[in-house]
Amino acid sequence: MMAGRLQGRRQSKSVFQKLSELNIFIVVVVIMIAMVGFVLLYSVAGGSVDPWAKRQIIRFVIGMFGMVVIAVIDIRVWMFLAYPFYFLSLILLIIVSVMGQTGMGATRWINLGFMNLQPSELMKIALILALARYYHCMTKEESGQYRRLIVPILLIAAPVALVVMQPDLGTSLLIIAGGVAILFCGGARLWLFIVGLMAIIPTAIGAWSFMKPYQQDRVLTFLNPERDPLGAGYHSIQAKIAVGSGGVYGKGFIQGSQSQLNFLPEKQTDFIFTVLAEEFGLMGGVMLLGLYMILLAYALIVCMSVRSQFGRLLSFGMAVTFFLYMFINIAMNLGMVPVVGVPLPLVSYGGSAMLTLLVGIGFVLCAAIHRDTTISRGGAFA
Amino acid sequence: MRSADLHIEGVKHEAIEVARNRLMVPAFLFVLGFGILVVRLVSIGIFEDISDQITHARPVTTEIVQERVDILDRNGVVLATNLSAPSLAVRPRLITEPEETADKIVAVLPDLNRTSVLNKLKSSHHFLYIKRNLTPKQVWRINALGYPGLILEQAEKRIYPQGNLASHVLGYVDVENRPQAGVEKFFNDHLSNTVRSNDPLYLSLDIRVQHIVRQELAFAMNKFSAIGGAGMVMDINSGEILAMTSLPDFDGNGSVQPASSEMKNRNILEPYEMGSGFKVFTIAMALDSGTVTLNDAFDATEPLKVGRRTINDDHAKERILNVPEIFTFSSNIGSSLIIREVGVEQQKNYLQKFGMFEKTVVELTGLSRPILPAHWGEIQSMTVSYGHGIAVTPLHLVTGISAMINGGRLIPATLIRKDTAPDNDYYPQVISSETSQKMRHLMRLAVEYGSGGRAHVKGYLVGGKTGTAEKVVNGKYSRQDKITSFVGAFPMDNPKYVVFAMLDEPKGIEETFYKATGGWVAAPVVGEIIKKIGPLLGVLPKEYIETKYHNLILVDAGK
Repeated sequence: MMAGRLQGRRQSKSVFQKLSELNIFIVVVVIMIAMVGFVLLYSVAGGSVDPWAKRQIIRFVIGMFGMVVIAVIDIRVWMFLAYPFYFLSLILLIIVSVMGQTGMGATRWINLGFMNLQPSELMKIALILALARYYHCMTKEESGQYRRLIVPILLIAAPVALVVMQPDLGTSLLIIAGGVAILFCGGARLWLFIVGLMAIIPTAIGAWSFMKPYQQDRVLTFLNPERDPLGAGYHSIQAKIAVGSGGVYGKGFIQGSQSQLNFLPEKQTDFIFTVLAEEFGLMGGVMLLGLYMILLAYALIVCMSVRSQFGRLLSFGMAVTFFLYMFINIAMNLGMVPVVGVPLPLVSYGGSAMLTLLVGIGFVLCAAIHRDTTISRGGAFA
Repeated sequence: MRSADLHIEGVKHEAIEVARNRLMVPAFLFVLGFGILVVRLVSIGIFEDISDQITHARPVTTEIVQERVDILDRNGVVLATNLSAPSLAVRPRLITEPEETADKIVAVLPDLNRTSVLNKLKSSHHFLYIKRNLTPKQVWRINALGYPGLILEQAEKRIYPQGNLASHVLGYVDVENRPQAGVEKFFNDHLSNTVRSNDPLYLSLDIRVQHIVRQELAFAMNKFSAIGGAGMVMDINSGEILAMTSLPDFDGNGSVQPASSEMKNRNILEPYEMGSGFKVFTIAMALDSGTVTLNDAFDATEPLKVGRRTINDDHAKERILNVPEIFTFSSNIGSSLIIREVGVEQQKNYLQKFGMFEKTVVELTGLSRPILPAHWGEIQSMTVSYGHGIAVTPLHLVTGISAMINGGRLIPATLIRKDTAPDNDYYPQVISSETSQKMRHLMRLAVEYGSGGRAHVKGYLVGGKTGTAEKVVNGKYSRQDKITSFVGAFPMDNPKYVVFAMLDEPKGIEETFYKATGGWVAAPVVGEIIKKIGPLLGVLPKEYIETKYHNLILVDAGK
């Protein structure tokens, strides 16, 4: 690593040099988090690699490969590709929306043969890339100008509108949150966010309190159409029972009655944290939270140390997305927020989300490897 | 490096500084987020008492709550239960294409009239029933039509798997599940309150015995061209009715209301003159009061003239008869002479104790009062002694006869299974147990030597008394139309069951020498019933036991 840094800031490093700069510790943390997922998927299948654990491992290996590839490719390539990538994602989203209208029901994915690609997942990455690129090219004065807000708002609004139409409000909220976070760090006027927050929260609370219970129920159902067919609160009550009955040390591997006896719906996806807490107790839960904390702390450290604004904002956007996934999912498992369909990063069963997150971590690692690379305003190779 | 570049680098540096400073906010939020999660995790994992929630959140398997409680016989055979049979209804406002909808409904339910369906679909009402009691297949097909205006309303149909078999006991319910008769009506509060208890109602009926009684009665009814019949089997020690049948009867499953003649339960609804069956009570009260002994004799050589009336014997012996002979040969003259000794007041007291003055007690509606003589003088006292001029229901007779032979306790009849042994002291002692013992022998004698001979069944020591009475038609006695009955019991050495059979207006046939008396018509029915239910009820056949007082019977040429 020291050798790499001494070789000068403007010279490209070889692939091998970059690989040697890859933060092995973080890669190990990612693998450890994913292994928690494998163990739990093995457990909820009643002690079997089928049907979940095996496929999850295969996807993870493919995803890890992609992550490393992304990490070692020159960050300027990514900056160059940011807008094309964004527009490609947007087009795919439009295609899916059109298909969704012609086909029956909501179609959110495109079948690529080996996996189903969700353009909305792709968009989470693409939007961060595009916004990071937009703000990279800006001075402090420029980023504070109101007219400079038009483009990022359009960049955010276009995919959000398409995703809302699918309809998938949960994902749109995640996209908005990721986009706004970059606006914040990119230098948009602070008071905009303060006023925004002050306006949104009371409005939401006020609207919510004026709604009748069945209307509130409809809003929640709108947020997540698959929500809870057995009656409001079934998920979260069962989940809380599982977490509570796990105690400090848990009931033991493949011993959780809530998870093994099918009291928990969606235990392999959105409610997998509950399985962890029941079978491995408080210790298991805190350990996983610790791993996540290390990963996010690393991402923030990268943000601080990267020289290019693009790398910083990219890394930051990925960190925020990752954090939101994790926070919403665990809070939902602990009965603190309503049930919305958000997976636990790298642990829940499912291909698209895992790929998105590994690609995101790939970009963080990429920014770290290229922390000393400076990029011109135009994004050309310097 | 050019100065412009430097400038740009410097400006960009400022932007980067902003980003770095602002990073502190999300960093702080991240830490806060982790903090919240850890605190929550610890508080649930360690401090929260989840035991309440576990019990509340247990998945609920809801019990099936029926609309009506099941009715079973004493052995658990289902007599009445429910089938899910949804009703098809319509909300006409939600029907957009009535013509097409009507076509499709009629295609599924071909017995409906298309015009009337169409009228309902076009009607201005909010809600109308189209058809009740759809089969599962029809429900499926109506659902498959997919019209939101068609409503399938969950409903249950009461069904009686035994059909006609116990129709008068069970009664039936109408299309709205409202009880119309029988136990269904009497116990409606219990049967319809399934929330309070869903336990089935066990009747005292034994459906096997019920079946035999109905079959034998129907056979005799057909054979003698009778217009109706009634039959009962009662456990004399508990009052439980094992069988109660009345013909003609009905099928409670039918959708049409039964005819009133079918609805009539002759066992409880109409009082009849019971004829010689009443002599059991006359002899019992005479013996019990000590007025006469078995060795006393009365002169029955000539018809008895009382006022303007002459009392005759059907099988006149034209000699002096002792008390067992009077009973066995069913002498009207003899019983009139005996009752003259007993006296009017004593007769009335005993009959009242035997339950002949009041409605009987059983768990059915529509029980009749007896018809008593308006003026009860000596003449009336004599006719009542052989069962004329007084009308009671068959259930009165059966309940009273049971008391005569069960040791003297009048036990009210019941249609509900008794699971505990009856308490002897609870029921009133209407005659002494010694008198009751004597009555057992006398009833046995009547079958062995008297008019009840055709009720004889080998091994079961049947006892009993025939009854033949002229039917009251338009207030006058009819010589043609008779009510013939036989009330029997078995086994007489230790009686367990009373078996009653009655036929309304039987016609004599060649086989019976054109006679339609109780001995010819009703006694064989009871004999057949006992022959079949004896083994079924676990009564062991016995060697012939000679009756105690047989030596008192002078079997002469006149017999």
